[in-house]
Amino acid sequence: MLRRTTLKLMATLAAAAVLPLGAFAEMPATIDKPVTISFYNYNLASAGIGSEATKELIAGFEKKFPNVKVETVAVPPNEIINRVQADIVAGKQPDVAQLTFRDLIFIASDLGGNALEDMVSPEELKDHLAGMIPKGLELGKVDGKTYGLAYTFSTPVLYYNGDLFKQAGLDRNNPPKTWADVDIAGKAIKEKTGKNGFFPGAYGPSDGTFVYQAIVMSNGGKVRDGNKLTFADKNAAEAVKMLRDMVDSGAHARIDPASGSDTFAAGNLGIFVYTTATLGAYKKAAKGKFDLRIAPMPSFGEKPTAPTNSGSALFVFSKDPDKQRAAYELLKYLTSKEAYTIITSKIGYLPLRLDIVDDPNYLGPWVKENPMFRANLEQLNRLTATVALPGPNYRQVEKMMMDSVREAVFGKGDPDATLKAAQDQGQDLMP
Amino acid sequence: MTTDASPDRPLLPSTGLKDGSIRRFAVHAVMIVLSFLSIFPIYWMIVTSLRPENEIFSTSLWPSNPSLENYVFVLTRIPMIGMLVNTTIVSAATAVLQVVTGLFAAYALVRWRMRLSGVIHGLIALSWLVPFQVTMIPNYVLASRLGLLDTLTGLIVPNAAHAFAILLLYNAMRSFPTEILEAARIDGANSWRILWQIVVPNMGAPIASLSIIAFISAWNEYFWPLLLSRKPENSVVQMGLQMFMSQEGNLWGPLMAAAALASLPVLVIYLVLQRHVIESFMKSGIR
Amino acid sequence: MTDIQADLARPISVARVPAAARLRAAFTLQPWLYLAPALCLLMMWTYVPLVEAFQLSFYQWNMLPSAPQRYVGLTNYQRLFALPEMRAALWNTLFYILGLFPMSVIIPLFVAIWTQDLEGRARTIYRALIFVPMIVAPVVAAILWRWLLNEDQGLITLGLEQIGLGRIGFLTDPKYALATLTWITGWKLIGFSTLLFSAANAGINSSYIEAARIDGASRWRIIRDIRLPLLSPTILLLSMMTILFGAQWSFAYINVLTNGGPLKSTTNIFYLLWEYGFQTMSAGWSSAAGMIAFAGFAAIAAGCMWLTKRFAFYDN
Repeated sequence: MLRRTTLKLMATLAAAAVLPLGAFAEMPATIDKPVTISFYNYNLASAGIGSEATKELIAGFEKKFPNVKVETVAVPPNEIINRVQADIVAGKQPDVAQLTFRDLIFIASDLGGNALEDMVSPEELKDHLAGMIPKGLELGKVDGKTYGLAYTFSTPVLYYNGDLFKQAGLDRNNPPKTWADVDIAGKAIKEKTGKNGFFPGAYGPSDGTFVYQAIVMSNGGKVRDGNKLTFADKNAAEAVKMLRDMVDSGAHARIDPASGSDTFAAGNLGIFVYTTATLGAYKKAAKGKFDLRIAPMPSFGEKPTAPTNSGSALFVFSKDPDKQRAAYELLKYLTSKEAYTIITSKIGYLPLRLDIVDDPNYLGPWVKENPMFRANLEQLNRLTATVALPGPNYRQVEKMMMDSVREAVFGKGDPDATLKAAQDQGQDLMP
Repeated sequence: MTTDASPDRPLLPSTGLKDGSIRRFAVHAVMIVLSFLSIFPIYWMIVTSLRPENEIFSTSLWPSNPSLENYVFVLTRIPMIGMLVNTTIVSAATAVLQVVTGLFAAYALVRWRMRLSGVIHGLIALSWLVPFQVTMIPNYVLASRLGLLDTLTGLIVPNAAHAFAILLLYNAMRSFPTEILEAARIDGANSWRILWQIVVPNMGAPIASLSIIAFISAWNEYFWPLLLSRKPENSVVQMGLQMFMSQEGNLWGPLMAAAALASLPVLVIYLVLQRHVIESFMKSGIR
Repeated sequence: MTDIQADLARPISVARVPAAARLRAAFTLQPWLYLAPALCLLMMWTYVPLVEAFQLSFYQWNMLPSAPQRYVGLTNYQRLFALPEMRAALWNTLFYILGLFPMSVIIPLFVAIWTQDLEGRARTIYRALIFVPMIVAPVVAAILWRWLLNEDQGLITLGLEQIGLGRIGFLTDPKYALATLTWITGWKLIGFSTLLFSAANAGINSSYIEAARIDGASRWRIIRDIRLPLLSPTILLLSMMTILFGAQWSFAYINVLTNGGPLKSTTNIFYLLWEYGFQTMSAGWSSAAGMIAFAGFAAIAAGCMWLTKRFAFYDN
C-alpha cells in the first residue's frame, strides 16, 4: 500500500518535471538591474551581410537598454539547435535563440521554449503583435500557442535568366506562371541553348523541406495530417510525379543539389525556384553578366500557390523572470518595424509587418528601388506554414521522406511505390 | 664499376646504362603526374582567391586583373589573425602533448613486458575506434564543469593523448635494437635517462612525422571547436572558413583567400620538420 | 660488423630473455607512471563517455535533464539495422576501403621507396608537392574538387569536353559518384602515407642495404627482401587504418559534397550512422549508432591485430 503510494508520488513528480511550466512567475515590467542574456544566432556565424545587419541590430538594442548585455553565440544554421541542446544539458540555460522552423515542435515540446502567451501579459503581447501578418504569426505556433516569432524568413520565388529566355525564343517579360509553363520553358532552354532548363532548390541538404512542401501544398497535398504521414497520398504524390515527368522530359536539369545556386549564379541555369535570401548574392553575380529576373512561384494550373516559409524564428528559453523580461525586450526589438526594415533591405528576407512596406520612413524607398521584390511580397497573402514533424524521431522521418522524394524524382522506379514505402517506414517512427 | 655503397647514390645496375635511365625516366614521369594532381587544386584555390568578385566563375588559368581584395575582406571582416594564432597554439600544444604522452606510453609498453601489456595495448588501440560523436556531448558537459568552455585549454586537453601517436611510436620503438638498451641499463642508467638520451634522439624520423600529422589533425579539427568556442575571437580557423559559407550563398573569393591563409602555417611546419623525416639519425650497426 | 645473415637468423628469444626475467620480478611502479598520462586522458575523454553511450543506447531520450528516459531495450538497434539503406551503405563501405588501398598504401609505398634513391633536391621537392594536399582543410578540399568537377562550369569537365569525352556527372551520376569521392578522399591521403613510409624507410638500418649491395643483390631484391619486410609494420598499420577508418575519412567529403547521394550511391556505414544517429537529437539512436560503429570496427580491428602479430617483422 505504502509502496503503491510512493510509486504514484514518484510518477507524479516525474510527470510534473516533464510538463512545461504552465504557470510562470510573473516577469517584471522593467529591467531595473544589469542583466546578461545569451543570444544564439546563425547570421553571425557567416561573414556576409547577415552578420553586419545583426550586429547593427544588437548595437541598437544595447543602446536602448543600457542595463542589458547581449552575449552572442554564433553557430552555423545546421548545428545551432545541437548547440542549444548541448548547453541546456550542460546547465547553461540559453535565453534567446534563432532556430529554424523544421524544429518547431521539438522546441516547444522538448527544448522547453517559452510560449509567449504564458510568459507575457495579454495586453502587452497584443500590443506588440499588432501589425504583424496573421499568417506570419501562425508560423511559430504549436497547438495554438506562439512559441516563436518569424525573424529571418522568406518564401520560394522563381528566379529566371532573362538572357537565356531570349536565346530560347521565350518572352522574358512573360515568366512561367504554371508548372506546365515551366516545363515548356525548361525544354526550350535545354534544346535551344544547351544550358540547364529548370531546377528547384528542393532536394539540397541545407534548405530543409520548405520548397518541396511549397510544391506539395500548392497541389493541395500535405506531408502529414496529425500524426499520420500523408506525403505519399494522392495530391502530394502527384506533385512529385510532376517533377519526375519534367526530369524525364528534359526540362528539369540533373544537377548536384548543392550546386544549384551556383549554377544559376554562373548563368548556366535558366529557371531556379528558391529563397529570396539569395537575391543579394545573385544580383552581384549577375551584374554585367546576365539579366536577372524574379517571378512568383509557379502554380498547378488554376490552384492558388501555397508559398511556405524558410528561415528562422526567435525563441525565448529563459526561466529566470529578470532574464525573461530582458529576453522578451530583445525579441520585441528584433521584430519591430525598424528591425524588419534592416533585415529586409540589407539581407533580403521578408518582413513580418506589412505596414512598413509602403511607409517612406521604413521600407518604402527600398521597395521602390527593388521592384523585383514585390513578387515575394505578393506571395505573403498566401503564406502557408511549413509543416514541422512531431515526436522524438522527427528528424529520421524527415530524412526518410526527403530521400524518397529524391529517389522518386531522379531514380528509375515507380514514384508512387517509392513514396509509399518510405511513408510506411516513417509511420512506424511517428508518435 | 663504382662500388660506392651509400644508399643515397643509386648504384648502376650491372645490366647497363640504358635500363637505369629508362627507370629513372619512368620514376620522374610518375612523380610529375602525381605532383601535378596534388598541386593543381591548390593552385586553383590560390588563383581564385586573387580574382575580383565578378570574375569568380571564370575559367582562365590566371586572373586577368589579380587583386588582393579578397584577402583584405577576410582580414577585416573576421578576426582571422587571432584565429590563426589560436589555431597555431592549439595545434602545436596538441602535437607536443600527443608526442610526449605517446612516448611515455610506448616506452612503458616496449621496455617492460608486463602481464597486462597486451591488454593495455589493446585498450589503447580500441580507444581509437570510438566515434567522436559518441564522446562529444559528454565531453562538452565535462568541459563545462571544468570551466574549459570557450578556452584554448579546452580545445587542447581532450586531444592530448591519442592512440595513433602511441601506436606509431610503439612500432618505431619496437624496431630499436635492444642491445643498446641493455647496454645502457647495465651501465646503471635509469629509465628516464635512457628514454631521453638514447631512445628519443634516434627516433627523429617517427617523431617528426608524428608531429606533422598531429599538428595537421589538430589544425583541421572542426566539430569539437565548433561546440566549445562561443566567440569568434576564441575560435580556430576552421570556424573562420565556415563563416564564408552560408545559406545566402558562399563567398567564394574570400573563402579561397581564407583557405589559403589557413594553409600557410601548416606548410611552414611541414617544411621545417620534413628534413628530420628524410634524414636518418640512426647510428649504423653495432661495431 | 655483424653479418646480415647472422643477424636475421639469430633467434628472437635471445633478445627476449632479459624481458622474461623481468616478468618474474616484483611489480614495478615505473611503467605505470609512464602510462598514467595517456591512460588517464583516454579514460576521461574517451572511455567514460563510451560507457555512458552504451547505457543510453537502450533508452529513448532527448538528453535534456527535464525529460524522462524511456527504456526501449533493443529497439534503437533494430531500427538502425532495419534501415533500407543499410545494405547499400555496407557495400559502399567495402568499395571505399578497396578503392582507397591504392592511394593510401600502394602508391605511397613506392613513392617513398623510389624517391629515397633520387638526388636530394628532387626528392625533397617531389615529397613536398605530394604532401601539399594535406595542408588544406578537408572542407576546402571538398569544395575545390566540387568546383573543378562541376558539370557546367568545372575546369575538368570543360577539359574533358575539349578532348571530346563529353560530360561526365562526377558527382551527379550514381555510376561515377562513388569513384569520385574515393578519389578525393585518397587524393588527400597520398601525402599522409608517403610521409609515414618515408619516415619508416629512413629508419631502416643502412648497413643492411650496404651489405646487400656489396653482396651483389639487385634493386628489386633489396626492395623485396629487406625494405618491404622491414616496412611491414608500417604497411600493416596503414592497411589497418584504411580498413578501419576508410569510411570515416571519406565522411567529411560525403558530408560536404553528396550527403550520401545521388540515390544512395555514396553513403557508407559511418555516414548512415551519422545521419540517423548523431543528427537526430535523440540520445538513444545516437548512442546505438555509435555502439554499432564501435563494436563492428572493433571486431574487424581484432582480426587485423592478429594479422599484424603474425606478419610484422621487427628489427631488434
